[in-house]
Amino acid sequence: MIKKTLELLGEYILLMKRVFTKPEKWSIFWKQYFVETESLGLTSVALIGIISIAIGAVLVIQTAYNIENPFIPKMYVGYMVRESLILEFSCTMIALILAGKVGSNISSDIGTMRLTEQIDAMEMMGINSANYLILPKVVAVCVFNPILMLFSFLVGILGGWLIVAATGMITLSQYTEGLRFAFNGYYIVYAVTKMIVFSFIIVTVSALYGYGPKANSMEVGRASTRSIVSICLLILITDLMLTQLMLN
Amino acid sequence: MPADPDHRSNVNPIDAELMIYVRNISKDFGGQQVLSDITVDFEEGKTNLIIGASGSGKTVLLKAIAGLHPIDAGRILYDDMVFNQLEEKERKLIHKKMGMLFQGSALFDFATARENVRFPLDFFTDWSMAEKNDRVDFCLERVNLEDIGNKYPSELSGGMQKRVGIARAIVMNPRYLFCDEPNSGLDPQTAIVIDQLISEISHEYNMTTIINTHDMNSVMAIGEKVVFLYEGKKEWEGSRENILHSDSKALNDFVFASEMAKMLKKSKF
Repeated sequence: MIKKTLELLGEYILLMKRVFTKPEKWSIFWKQYFVETESLGLTSVALIGIISIAIGAVLVIQTAYNIENPFIPKMYVGYMVRESLILEFSCTMIALILAGKVGSNISSDIGTMRLTEQIDAMEMMGINSANYLILPKVVAVCVFNPILMLFSFLVGILGGWLIVAATGMITLSQYTEGLRFAFNGYYIVYAVTKMIVFSFIIVTVSALYGYGPKANSMEVGRASTRSIVSICLLILITDLMLTQLMLN
Repeated sequence: MPADPDHRSNVNPIDAELMIYVRNISKDFGGQQVLSDITVDFEEGKTNLIIGASGSGKTVLLKAIAGLHPIDAGRILYDDMVFNQLEEKERKLIHKKMGMLFQGSALFDFATARENVRFPLDFFTDWSMAEKNDRVDFCLERVNLEDIGNKYPSELSGGMQKRVGIARAIVMNPRYLFCDEPNSGLDPQTAIVIDQLISEISHEYNMTTIINTHDMNSVMAIGEKVVFLYEGKKEWEGSRENILHSDSKALNDFVFASEMAKMLKKSKF
């Protein structure tokens, strides 16, 4: 187990050494960057929007249900929804969801290219396939996911607002007051930092599992599953470490 | 817009020598010896064939020579350069002189046939799009595929995919051409067309070509030098004329495996 983990770590370091080199041509890199932004980022907007709006609404209902004490002002519902969304849901939970969607996509795409010798074909041409295939994905996801996180935060807040308006469990002014209460801008920095780190983990770990040699299509599927499990574990461990580092 | 005519037919200047020397190479996968102490020369401007049964190590040898599989022992020399001991930058320079047709064609799914052929030009030339398209048209015409440029690999037949693969392999005007099982999955007539195409192109551009096959039709049609692998070892090498009169039992079992070949042997040889 330890030997396997160390071997995997060694493979990861060697792969990253090949990924983070100067692209053969910047024009090709930027073209790929926009392709990847569309395929890995923009296609996730609807999914993240739907999940965030639902979670925002559910958070309002649950928080309101748990604050029945008349000594606790109702505006705390808005405050707690805001804090929950920015501190954990919009970065960590969204990253876990993206690990499933983006991570499996990257791992299976690269794995299929490996299996069908498309990666070998690139290497034969003298192209650094790791750099061409992975670097634009890393940059695209690390740039776009923090935007996706802020979008999730705003849509979550909107989801809460809609449920408040629909049910009247608290007033809209109480909800808005809670959203504005004791806002700490550093939390945004904290959440964006976490999202960038999580995005890096999602792309590079899924690429590592996809890039390795494959004997058949079942191995592509297995690699994809293993990559998601590893990414989720790494995200949770990193979340713990970053929270301790940045908020303690 | 007419492009520079040189772009159509030539990319790299022709080198003086194009020999490939394999010296005592060995390779194992997870403790299983796949190649054992193989020494062989692949001759300049010739169609060299590696033959052998499935699992004999043909593909591993071809990919080792092409630098896609690292070897455990021995040397692979391109002229006087020890390829397997070069730094990645220097290896890249030699890779740019290579073209390879893969068993499954290995065309990029995300690109059309035209984009597939243009792919190396996008990376390694500063030509205008018109010049690149001109070269791509030339290569597609050379493999008799003028009208399929805008189709994706999934829309092409197996034979067409192989021909696009050949066009992509020759677009940079390589000095070395490697073909891994070029006939696999093709009907006998298409297989002959592909064989002839590879042979013609190899001679036309004076390329050192190595083809890995188990198809005896290919051996007899285009094999100028033949190397027979048996259980990861070089069992025999020679010309296609001599292959029918070899003393090697393993080679005879391979060559005369089919009923038709056995009948021919009884009647003629």
